[in-house]
Order: sequence, then structure tokens, then C-alpha cells
Amino acid sequence: MKFPARPATTPPKLPEWDPAWSRIVDAQTEDGTHSFHVLDTLDVLTDAELEPSGTILALHGNPTWSYLWRHLAQATVDSARAGGRVWRLIAPDQLEMGFSERLAHDSLPTPANAEVRRISQRIGDFDAVATTLLAEVAGSAAAVEASSAAAPVRSSGTSAGSATAATTATTATGTDHPIVTIGHDWGGVLSLGWAARNADLVSAAISLNTAVHQPEDSPIPAPLRATLAGPMLPTATVVTDGFLRVTLSLGDLDPTAKSAFRAPYETAALRHGIGGFVADIPVDDKHASDPELQRIGADIAAFDHPALLVWGPKDPVFLERYLRDLRQRLPQADVHRFELGSHLVSEDYDVAGVVTDWLAAQFPTAATFPVTPKAAPDSQATTDPTPSNEHAAAASATSAAPARPVTGILDARRDDESIASVDFSQNPAQQITWRHLWHVTTSITNGLLDLGVRPGDRVSMLVPPGNNLTAALYACLKIGAVAVVADAGLGPKGMTRATTSADPKWIIGELPGLSLARAFNWPGRRISVSPLGPLQRRLFKVETSLTALSRTPHRAEFPTPAVTDDAAILFTSGSTGPAKGVRYTHGDISALAAVLTSVFDVKEGTGLVAGFPPFALLGPAIGATSVTPDMSVTKPKTLTASAIADSIIAGSATMVFASPAAYTNVAATASALDAEQKAACSRVELVLSAGAPVPLELMEAIAEVFPNASIHSPYGMTEGLLLTDIDRHGVAEAAATSNLGVCVGRPIDGVELALAPIDASGTPADSLLQGTAAQGRLGELVVSAAHIKSGYDNLWATTAQSARDNLGGRTWHRTNDIGHIDAEGRVWLEGRLQHVVTTPRGPVGPGGLEALIDSDEQVSRSAVVGIGPEGTQSLVAVLDAEGTDLSPGLAPLDISARLRGQVARVVGHDLTAVLVAPTFPTDIRHNSKIDRSRLAAWADHVLAGGSVRTKV
Amino acid sequence: MKITVTGASGLLGSSVARALVAAGHEVTTLQRRPSAVEGAHDVVGSVTDPTTVAQALTGAEAVVHLAAKVSMMGDPSDFEAVNIGGTSTLIDAAQAAGVRRLVHISSPSVAHTGDSIIGDGAGPASPESARGEYARTKAAGELIALEADSDDFKVLVLRPHLMWGPGDAQLTERVIDRARSGRMPVLGSGAALVDTLFVENAVEAIVAAVDAVDSTHGEALVVTNGQPRPIGELMSRIAIAGGAEEPKLRIPVGPALAAGSVVEKVWDLGEHDDEPPLTRFLAEQLSTAHWFDQRRTQEVLGWTPRVSVEQGLEILAKHYSRD
Repeated sequence: MKFPARPATTPPKLPEWDPAWSRIVDAQTEDGTHSFHVLDTLDVLTDAELEPSGTILALHGNPTWSYLWRHLAQATVDSARAGGRVWRLIAPDQLEMGFSERLAHDSLPTPANAEVRRISQRIGDFDAVATTLLAEVAGSAAAVEASSAAAPVRSSGTSAGSATAATTATTATGTDHPIVTIGHDWGGVLSLGWAARNADLVSAAISLNTAVHQPEDSPIPAPLRATLAGPMLPTATVVTDGFLRVTLSLGDLDPTAKSAFRAPYETAALRHGIGGFVADIPVDDKHASDPELQRIGADIAAFDHPALLVWGPKDPVFLERYLRDLRQRLPQADVHRFELGSHLVSEDYDVAGVVTDWLAAQFPTAATFPVTPKAAPDSQATTDPTPSNEHAAAASATSAAPARPVTGILDARRDDESIASVDFSQNPAQQITWRHLWHVTTSITNGLLDLGVRPGDRVSMLVPPGNNLTAALYACLKIGAVAVVADAGLGPKGMTRATTSADPKWIIGELPGLSLARAFNWPGRRISVSPLGPLQRRLFKVETSLTALSRTPHRAEFPTPAVTDDAAILFTSGSTGPAKGVRYTHGDISALAAVLTSVFDVKEGTGLVAGFPPFALLGPAIGATSVTPDMSVTKPKTLTASAIADSIIAGSATMVFASPAAYTNVAATASALDAEQKAACSRVELVLSAGAPVPLELMEAIAEVFPNASIHSPYGMTEGLLLTDIDRHGVAEAAATSNLGVCVGRPIDGVELALAPIDASGTPADSLLQGTAAQGRLGELVVSAAHIKSGYDNLWATTAQSARDNLGGRTWHRTNDIGHIDAEGRVWLEGRLQHVVTTPRGPVGPGGLEALIDSDEQVSRSAVVGIGPEGTQSLVAVLDAEGTDLSPGLAPLDISARLRGQVARVVGHDLTAVLVAPTFPTDIRHNSKIDRSRLAAWADHVLAGGSVRTKV
Repeated sequence: MKITVTGASGLLGSSVARALVAAGHEVTTLQRRPSAVEGAHDVVGSVTDPTTVAQALTGAEAVVHLAAKVSMMGDPSDFEAVNIGGTSTLIDAAQAAGVRRLVHISSPSVAHTGDSIIGDGAGPASPESARGEYARTKAAGELIALEADSDDFKVLVLRPHLMWGPGDAQLTERVIDRARSGRMPVLGSGAALVDTLFVENAVEAIVAAVDAVDSTHGEALVVTNGQPRPIGELMSRIAIAGGAEEPKLRIPVGPALAAGSVVEKVWDLGEHDDEPPLTRFLAEQLSTAHWFDQRRTQEVLGWTPRVSVEQGLEILAKHYSRD
């Protein structure tokens, strides 16, 4: 088969593609002058009288072309027009790819074929185009000049950038014209390699899904293996469009975008480059390009400028192990994972937005401020602790107690023979002293160190609350290893996604957890809780057990982790998308323990029954005796009154922590209490209910079981476990007001509360209100406290967004919860940000109206949703048919009239329709968070004339 | 101001004329039968007759043009003569007479191709894709009116949507009559959302437009109560307000569409004066959503509906209880 040569051409008219971006560039490459089609925004910027003050060099992979960067091109032009830094985007189509020149070939490509363009040549091509085009603009030309003066030998393969990696406006070259690379697929490796070898010129590097190194012990990903298999290669890539078609299916592309990607590859004659690219993948160390790839890998590891990795984990080729490898080479890299993204992650998610935000944060201009002035967006590494220090400073400023290591009290009580912990999850109940707990923890610490666990290693905890978890957790805290906790409520799929994203090096688990880890191929070396037999050890790949580790002899003391070091990754419930890992540092955990002491008087010597997982773990940090009651963690309804009373007796407890679901069952089983148990319950001074709001009736029922206790229901979330608090009295008082929503009380000491008002389009304001200005209006609740999260794990952009405020120089957290603050300073929750209904009369928080509607005697529960375009939505109430005699469809006339009248009278809004849904979707963890989005989609369908029997 | 109102024999036209008189304007009415509007100068005749129209426009500063042939069925040439020809005649005469303002009353059906309308604004009138002779000719008429717009001859188009209320024979009385005799069906689930307009609000919106056209002109606005309701629920409430039982007759959408087509064909064969009981268009109207974004309308007119749907139903119930 013969392949004719053809010079570069320009693309036809394509969707989302500005023809003014297209240009043909002749560049002097290793084998002569070749013509390249290049996406270059220079003309568009110049026409708008915008002088570039930064350059992004982008490189696509195989089999895409510069069309891949169209969103980034548009985003950079838009942000330049809006007054941001003027980034020029230069994205060449690689030679023999896209609309660039086709070389002549006499045969189909194979790995050994001398005509295949090699990695080293492709880096040279990229260099040639970049050098030619950078010279056109004064700023980038100066940068090139400065860098060649500093390092005359380029592409040496061993260049180590001398400039310091810092998030300052000063770039690698000292000029204020940063040059940044970005790449995808093989363009990722090539651009990173070029950046590493030009570290004196390049200020930062970004990559989407790519692979630098093929580990010797791992097989090549299956889809690639199939393509590479001998005679299949040319057939799959060149003769047919198989490879092209399969790749374009790795994203949710609409047909017009797919056609645009296919445009330069319509015939076999145009596809030689696709096959050549695949043929040049160094599958083993005998491949011609293997040495070069090894060199690139080493060079990248020496790159110490800021880096960003944006990843779509559902990629069947560029698997998690390649991300892990990259992170080891670039430990300074920020990471943003789009959990549901695949290979073509930038087609399905706003990668351009993440990139422009990240660039704005790295390279602030005089006119613009960084997106994240304070927060330390995702950073597992502790190389640059500055931002976290500020966070810790806030901690010590607001908590009275001096910062104390989380394990400090445990260490101090190493000779204390009093009871530290009672575990009713074991049969018989296991009671251990402080001395015993310290010894076990210290032994496990030594054992884990011997095994190879290191500070910063992540350890997935698949152990239910109780003494085993306490020992394992505090051992990790002593080492500075990071506990990863994803609860079973996420389901196997959700837990797998969460664990994979956190990428633990170790898993400590009971059998059910180890089985999941095995079935879903989770990363991490395995440790069981109890010793396993040889067969199970092999089956679950378990190396040792906590029991065995707890027999390790003690040795020297180990250094205490810094307050800014990560302590734990706790996963959210995932009720609004994939669960997010929330990063807590040692300082955050200490601050949280301090809050329990200062606000709820949990202190050394207090006995507490811990039926709510997050708080169950803090006993040893506070010096409180904690009792784990006999219950299933994932099924709080299994906690009985007798079980709680027995726990109170065993720990001489005066405090009880549990969830509303647990208390509901406690109240329901209270009649079974005997005299001794009743007496124990009456000794309880504090009952804390966390996880969901507590209705007044439940408060009253709890009061009957614990007649002398004050009953508190704090509000919080995984990102900030204790934010506001309300007691029984407060709930009764709030119920007597005309406010709408769920009252969660006032901020606790140490928590600053602010409100971002929501506008007519449902968008929260960028600036925050506090005090009386914040009262009486719907907004997103924004909080600041020493014990809130330090960030989200591997979600740079999400962290940056959530911590974008800097009011008063504090670190804030956008909760995504909406509501209002009343004139008494009480917080009323009204739903989630994405559930705001934007009516023509203004935005409405659904939770407030639901509370009103649920008070109707014919309604069991409801969801309030918006139908129609933003800003002119119709307000619709959807009722749950279950537990009522209502049938699905339009609600009876009397109900709709009554509810409509109520809504009009109380809030002055027009309730368009009242529907009855056949089923009512809620979350798994709490069975209380109503899935308003699904009900909205159903209502939208029905109110457009669709069938009522459509699945919700 | 001297204002001429065409089509003042109908409910809306006569009510607008009365409201303008009450507001102190000097009102001339033009329609085929005497308008019986007290205080107005009545000219009897057709908008298709240039002489009569010129007579009705003498000295006028503003015109509210409501005259139209409104019907589901009928001879296409009749629709064209009134809705297209009449509008042209009126505009020519108005411009000749030095009239400065025209409020042209159109219909949302001019831009309705049969698809659901969910919170949309007023799309452009499209005679090509409008459904039925009424909508087609009203669309053409609206385009003529908007074409004539200039700073010297300011045109504002209002498209009232599904008007109802006491005295409305088009929708309200039919619903009540049929419900009383047990012939008022609910199509499908009856949940398709529709916008409607209570008659008093329609009158006030048009009166507001006579002022508003001076500052904003050259566009079309859909006018509704801004309170979409499930069609089945609203029809039921109108029926009940009219003293009927809640309609229980339910027809699935598919068969209704089919039946509508058949009825139309059969009706076309005979010589019927009145409307067929069900058309395909009507079945579609009653089973798909059509409700509108009212923000622009209310902004331009500086008007908000005074009577809510619920208040309107109470007024309606009082009206029928007096019968």
C-alpha cells in the first residue's frame, strides 16, 4: 500500500471551531522543513488588541488533533477579553496527524519499520513549531532568549531546572510571560518531556490522561495489547478506522464533534500516522523508542515547577497506575480527577475551566487575583506547607487549648490503669485500659513501620468502630500515615471508586472489607484484623494481621507528625455525585477534639457512648472513655435502648452520641429497660444527635429515655463535622416561629458563619454577607472554623471553588447547603444549591416549602422542584404516594387548592402544580435526603404531557 | 387621548373600550354589530372596508386592533379577508390618518408549531408552520403589523393566551356546558401545564400597552396570568365554578388525537355552523405543555396580573351562581 505525501491544509468549517485559529506553519525539523497545521489564538487576540502575556503550548495525542483544545482556546480568549491574563494558545497538529503534513510511505506501519516517526522526533517537531511561534511575540521571545542564555544546551535530556517552583508571578525565566505546556494521551508524555528538558523556559506543565512509564510487572492494557498484536496493528489503525472509532467512543461526544475529530482521517491514505503512532509505543525494552521513553521519564522526575494532572479514571488504556507513576515523578503536582470521566475527559467535563482557574492561581497578574488566595488545593505532598500553616494558625487562634498532638493524651496515659475503651461489638464485650491501649497501639505502630508503612502512606480502614479500629487508627496517626475512610453506605461501586481515587498503599480490613477489596481489585497491600488461615491469606493476599502486629516489641519513639500533615481522608455520602474525599490534617483533628471539649464539655475522664462513627474515634484524643455500643454501623436502627444502657453502665458514661435513626429505635425499645438500665439512662447529662436534623417529636421521645440530659443536635457535614447546634428547647422555640426550613440553631463557638446571597438565576454571590446584612435572605451557607477540612482529595478545582472566599483573611468553606439566617441569628436549612427553584418572583429554597407542605395532614413527605428555564421556573410540589391513599398523577383538587393557598399565603409564591409520584427516591446512607433532581426530571416529563407511569 | 378600538362587539374588545372610556380617553369603536359601549362613538362596519375604517380613524392617535375571525374551522378565504386583509387596510388607513400608536392583538398560536412550549418567550410569528387557518392568517397579520412599525407609527403586538372568565364564550362557557352534560373529557393525565389569562387581566394588559407602546415597540409579547396550571386541573376548576360536577371522563391521548382527526374530516364533509367537538389541534393543545416566560411582557407593559387564577375562579363562581 502506497501513501502519497501531502502538505498541511486547513480544516473545513467545524462546530465550535473558529477558522481564525487555523494557520499553517513551516518548521525546520530534524529531517527537514515540514508544514504543520496549528491552532494559534494569536490573530484573534491581536484583533481584540490583546497582547499575549503568557503562552500555552498544547499537544494532542493519537488519534485526535488540535480540535481537542478548542474549548481551551475559547476559554483563554474569553478570559483575556474579560481582563484576565492574555494566554496565547499554540496547539500544533502533530506531523502526519490532524491537518498537518502527510509524509510519503511505501508500506503500512509496523513497530520495527524505519519509516515510523519516533518519540524523539516528535519532541523535536514540537520544539521546532514552538520555537518558531514563540519568536513572534515579544514576551515569549524574550523568555526564549533568557532561557537559552541561561542554558545554552537544550534538549540535553538531563536538564534540571534551576528556577524554584513557586506559585509566584515570577516565572522560570524571570520575565512575566509564563510558558506552560499541556498534553493529552501521547501528547502528554511528549509535552511533559519537552517541558522537563526546557525547564528554564517552561514555568508549569499540565497533563491529562497519559502514561510515562510501563511498569515491568504490569501487563499492557488489554485494548492496546489487542491493537498492537502483530498483523492487527495496520488493520486496526490504518486500513480500517477501528482505532479511531473506538477512541472516539471513550467520551460522550455528540455526532458533530465526532465528525470533526474524524475529519482529517477520512481515508486510509490519511491514517498512516495513526498506525505509526501506535507502532511507536514502546511495549518492551527491545523497542526502538524505549530508551528515549526511559530518558523522558527521568527528565520529568527532575521537573520541579508547578504541575497539574487532570484525569478521567474510566480510561481503559491510561489506567490508575500511570497516574500513580506520574505523581511519584511529579510529587508537587496538583491533581483533579473527574471521577466519571474517560479517556476523552476534556470532551465531557470542563477541563478548560479547571486549567484556566489553575493558571490564574499560579500566575496572578497585577489586575487579577488568584482564584485560591489561601487554601492549599489538593496536595498530598507536604513540600509546600505555607497555606496549611495559615489554616493551623487559625486553629490555634480560635481554640483556647494549645495545639497538642492527636496522640498526646494517649501517650501521657501509658501507665494509667483506668478504662480507656469498651467495645460491645465484640462478644464478650472487650474492655481495655489506657495502658493496654497505649501498648497495643505502640506495638502496631512498630509493626506497621517494620512492614514498610511510611509517613504519608495512605491506609484504607475497612474496620467497624471498636477497639480494633481505634488501635489501627491511632497507630497510623502516630506514624503519620493517612487513614482513608469510605463508609459501606456508598455501596461496592461507590466504595471502589472512592478507594481507587484515594489510592491507598495499605488496606487494613475485616473479612467483608477484604472480600470487596479482592473482588474489585482495590490497590494496596492487605492486612487483616484477626489472623487468617493460609488459604484465606492467599485468597485475600493478606500479609499479616493487626493481632500479629500488636505483638511487635516496642522500640524508640517516633517523630510526631506536623500539624499540617494529612491525618485522614473521609469520604462524603455521595448524594450529589461521586463521593468526595475530604482531607483532614493532624491540626484539623486536634481542632475538632478541642471543639468537643469547649462546646460540649467532653474532656479527660468523661465517659461517652459513641454510636456515631466520626466521634467514636475521638475518645483517645480527648482522654475520654469511649464505649462502642452493640449495633451495626451501617444500620443505626439496630441500636436498642438496652444496648445503649449497657454501654452507659460499662463506661460510667454521662454522654451519648448517636444518629436520629438510632435514637428513634432507642425510643421505640425503651419499654424493655430494667430498673438498673433506667437509672443509668437517667444519669446521662448530654445526648448528642448528629447526621440529620431531629424533629421535635423525636427530641421529646429522647427526653423521656434520658430525663436529665440536655439534648443537642449539631449540624455539620463531612467537610465540617460541627458547625451549628440546637438543643431541645431551641427546637421548640424555633417551631413556634413562622420561619421556613429546618432550624439547625446557631454557630457554635469558633465557627464563623456567612451567607452568599442567591440571585435570580440561582447563583450564589461571590461576596459574602455577615451579621444583620445576611439575615432574612436566601443564600448559600459559608463557614469558617479551625476544624473544617483542609481540602478535597485529588479535586484541585473543587477545593479551589469551595475555598474561594477570603473574607477577613480567613479560610472559608462553601457548604453547598442553602437556607437563611433569621433575626435571632438562627440558621434555617432549605436544601442544596443545585435544588434552588428560580421562579420569576425570585429564587426559592425547596426545603422551606417542603416543611410547610409536609405539615398538611394528607401529606407524608414532599419534594419541591422547579420546572422550566432558569429564572422563570414553575414551582411544583411532588408528594410521596407511600403511606397515603393518594394515587400517582395530579393530586386531588382539594389538596392542590389547600397547598397552593398555603404557599401563596406564607411565602407569596405561586404553586403551579401538585403531583403524586409513584416512588420517592432517597439516599442510601440516611434514607432522608430526597433525590430532588430525579423527582424534578419526572415532574418535568409529566407536566409536559408525558405519562405518569414513567419511572422516577 | 383619541383611541379607536376595533372588534369591540366581543367580550375583550368591548371591555377594553369600556376601560379606556373609564380612564378618560375619547374612544371610537369599530365592529360589525353595535358595540353597546357607553360613552364610545360607535362606527358599525367591517375592517375590510377602507371607507368605514377611514371614518373610524378620523382624528385618532392610537388604535387597538382586536377585530379578527376567530374560529377553529371555516373557509380559508374568510380568514384571509379579515385577519390579513383587514389588518392591512387598517394599518394603511391609520398611517394615512396620522395615528401614532397601534396595539395589535394577536395569538400565541402564530408561533406554535405543535411542540411543547415550556417557559419560552414569544417566538417569531410563522405563517408557514402555524397550525390551522386562524393561526396562519393571524401570523401573517402580525407580520404585517410589525413590518409597519417605525418611530412615527409605533406597533406593539400582544398575544393573550387562553383567555377565560365571566362572559367568555370561547372557552369558559363551552367547558362549563360540556361538563354540565358530562361531555367534558380530561385528556391523558391532565397534567400538561398551560398558561391562561383571566379576562380582566387581559383588559388591563391591553390598556397598559396603549401607554407602553410609546417607549417599547416593534415586538410581540405573549400575555398570560403567569400562573401555569395542569390543564386537567384548571378545566375541572372552571367547570366546578360554573356549577358542574368535577369532570370524570378520561380519554387517553393517543385515541383523542386519532378521534380529533376523524371528527375534523367528518365535520368538513357536512355544512356545520358551529365548531366540531374535538379537533386534532385541540387534542394536541390539551395534552402538551404550553406556558411562557412572562418577565419581558411584564417589564415592557409595566403591568402585573391583578387577578390571580384562584381569585378569577371565585369571580367566575359568583358570576354563575347569579344565573
